Amino acid sequence: MKSIQLKKDSVFIEQLVTAIDNDGQFSSWDLFSMAYQAELTTMTPAFNGLRSLEYLPHIEFLDHQVKCAEQVIETMNGRAILADEVGLGKTIEAGLILKEYMIRGLVKKALILVPASLVNQWANELNEKFYIPAVAHRKNYSWEQADIIISSIDTAKRDPHRENILDQEYDFLLIDEAHKLKNHKTKNYEFVRSITKKYCLLLTATPVQNRLIEIFNLVSILKPGHLGNYDSFLEQYGKDRKKIKQDQYLKQLIQKVMVRNTRQETVLNNTKRRIESIYIDFKPEEKEVYKQLENITRPFAAFSKITYLRELCSSREACYLSLKKIVNEKNEAIIEPVLNKIEQLPQHVKADKVIDLIKKIGDEKVIIFTEYRATQLYLQWYLQQHGISSVPFRGGFKRGKKDWIKRLFKDHAQVLIATEAGGEGINLQFCNYMINYDLPWNPMRLEQRIGRIHRYGQDKDVHIYNFAIRDTVEEHIMTLLYEKINLFEQVIGQLDDILAELNIRDIESEIQTIFNESTSSGEAKIKLDNLSSIIKSTYNQPVSEEKHYGHY
Amino acid sequence: MAITNLDEFLQSYFTAHGCKLLQNKEGVITVQLTEEMDRVLMNRPFYWHYIKKIGQNGEPMQLSLISNPEKREEKGEWIHFGSPRLQQIINQLKQKEKYTKLFQIVNTNLNTPLYPWLVINIKISYKGKQKKDELISIGLHLVNGAMKLEMMNLLENIPLQPAISDYCYTISPIIKIKSGFKRIENVLDNYIQNQTHPWAEESSQALDEEIQMLKHFYTGDTDTQMEQMEKEINEITERYQPSIIYEVINGGLFYLTQDIL
Repeated sequence: MKSIQLKKDSVFIEQLVTAIDNDGQFSSWDLFSMAYQAELTTMTPAFNGLRSLEYLPHIEFLDHQVKCAEQVIETMNGRAILADEVGLGKTIEAGLILKEYMIRGLVKKALILVPASLVNQWANELNEKFYIPAVAHRKNYSWEQADIIISSIDTAKRDPHRENILDQEYDFLLIDEAHKLKNHKTKNYEFVRSITKKYCLLLTATPVQNRLIEIFNLVSILKPGHLGNYDSFLEQYGKDRKKIKQDQYLKQLIQKVMVRNTRQETVLNNTKRRIESIYIDFKPEEKEVYKQLENITRPFAAFSKITYLRELCSSREACYLSLKKIVNEKNEAIIEPVLNKIEQLPQHVKADKVIDLIKKIGDEKVIIFTEYRATQLYLQWYLQQHGISSVPFRGGFKRGKKDWIKRLFKDHAQVLIATEAGGEGINLQFCNYMINYDLPWNPMRLEQRIGRIHRYGQDKDVHIYNFAIRDTVEEHIMTLLYEKINLFEQVIGQLDDILAELNIRDIESEIQTIFNESTSSGEAKIKLDNLSSIIKSTYNQPVSEEKHYGHY
Repeated sequence: MAITNLDEFLQSYFTAHGCKLLQNKEGVITVQLTEEMDRVLMNRPFYWHYIKKIGQNGEPMQLSLISNPEKREEKGEWIHFGSPRLQQIINQLKQKEKYTKLFQIVNTNLNTPLYPWLVINIKISYKGKQKKDELISIGLHLVNGAMKLEMMNLLENIPLQPAISDYCYTISPIIKIKSGFKRIENVLDNYIQNQTHPWAEESSQALDEEIQMLKHFYTGDTDTQMEQMEKEINEITERYQPSIIYEVINGGLFYLTQDIL
């Protein structure tokens, strides 16, 4: 009892006496009694349970989201890593937690740090869905002005904002895409640790790709010492993340600060991914150019040749522009004939296929992903020629433009053509058809793409079409990487762990190396095949164990 | 006594503020706001500023509130316990309706004494790892020192008004308001003392544990490290330190006849 602080209210009675002495304004019985009723209605009579659910009757929460919020508040005491797989509604969970704390009067001042491209989306979501008056930070705002501010970490960490933020005392700090904080030596990491906060949520879809020490760093933001100190942790666990599977104790410790829901266990399983690989043959002219380009050895490094081949599989334009650049810079005559041939090429075979496919799909909304901007432009033009309306989307767009394009797509255009950079952070649940016009070499990025439409809020099966041209580098990637490992059907989340285990930090450059160092396409094929075999065999190892991780 | 019927609540609120109800059926309420209520609720200070500047009266708006989810398609705002509009109204109530002085209505032609009561509605918040609230309504007879709980329920059945009825006169308090408040506080203090507080023990324990963990985390003893540790100890203390908070929601003086006890 003696350790409980007692804070009394001395203001009220002073003011009541003043009001009586001065014959001040008094409430009528009706209003007086209504204020009492209002308090009875809004107070929180119990320690446990979520009051916020009564406040948000218009949102249909999924079970795992409600459970997550309860767990974070009741057993993790408001400091946690939310590590659901992409598209299960981490934002919703975070919003629910913040709302609950606000209703209970535990949070007034909150700072929400998200990637620059997501600031508006967060602001909309919190305001419209949760009635949380969050504002996006603007240039001339001061950080004290609003209680709940959303900003990008890059803005926040710069002077003079940095100083201002460090002067504030936040009740609640949220970091989206927190996996970017895995390195404790970075400025961002140091900055986040020095922010004064009470409750803290770290959101990330990919925490387990990290090495153990990275998990250690994330946990140290929330609960320093929970996993010991840096030296003792390194000594005990080294940098080997396999230890996490062996060490039951460590696993339990991590579960105390992390919630991870997977698609397999949640309701989202109801909507399926219907995946179709579409193999296409080059037109004879295209094939000829491809072969010719493949056989050129000089003047460019093998490294770039594979890039030009990929571009040719995507569109004449993409390849032409890159080659033209070389010619201009290095004055290489040997490429000229190839360039001339490219100029003569007919419409790209894949573009024709896209038209066929969209016509077959009918009136539904379709997203097309391509790796190249030249292809994006070309497709937009080509679709227009066939009377199909489309809007482009790029990662480099400003926030406002992104929102606007999204709206155009929703209300007017049938097709959205996005480049890779547009993969992250735009939610398009209202669409359930996706064409991967060319495949990324990093399967995580494919997962990010699919996550745009196959996510919380999607109520139909999603259809995904993957294009690959036969007898080209595309076919190799499709058959040897994606199909062999069953990546389309499997949820890719686990791939992260596997790659980390195999010590492959970047699968894209791994594949790049394979192609570069092989003298023939046959050799490349064999090496790629080997790579997939290793990944596949690691896959088949106890996956079930992985699921314990971050889970009760 | 919590709000159970939102329509009735809204109706009383607007009526109490002199707004005319244009419609109230099947969970759709339309009111004609007064200028005062328009200024309070509609957030358009520029309009009012402008209209007064050009010497006109201005037209207060009508407000349609829909409490029936099935009527959400109709024109108006959907109002429910989480909606910004209800929160706004509730905040208005809590801010403005804090103090009162009321007299029991007595129909009599005999000289009738009214006795002063200090009525305090106070919220006790228990805050540790989690938080919960308790609302207590307590009345103190300022002449004989009698105390009553659930005072608001009792008052609900007594007709009250801001002015004293004819033939009635008030008895002067023997207990001063401030010392009356002290008495009420003492009763609450006792009430708290006599409870066990497992929640506080759990919180204190969590507090100790996390501070121990923290000390284990910091091995170096450079100034920056120490500073960071201090900061984090404060954060943890802020989060777990068990505390009990009294907050008076509202209260005031009530003059009542002797027989209400």
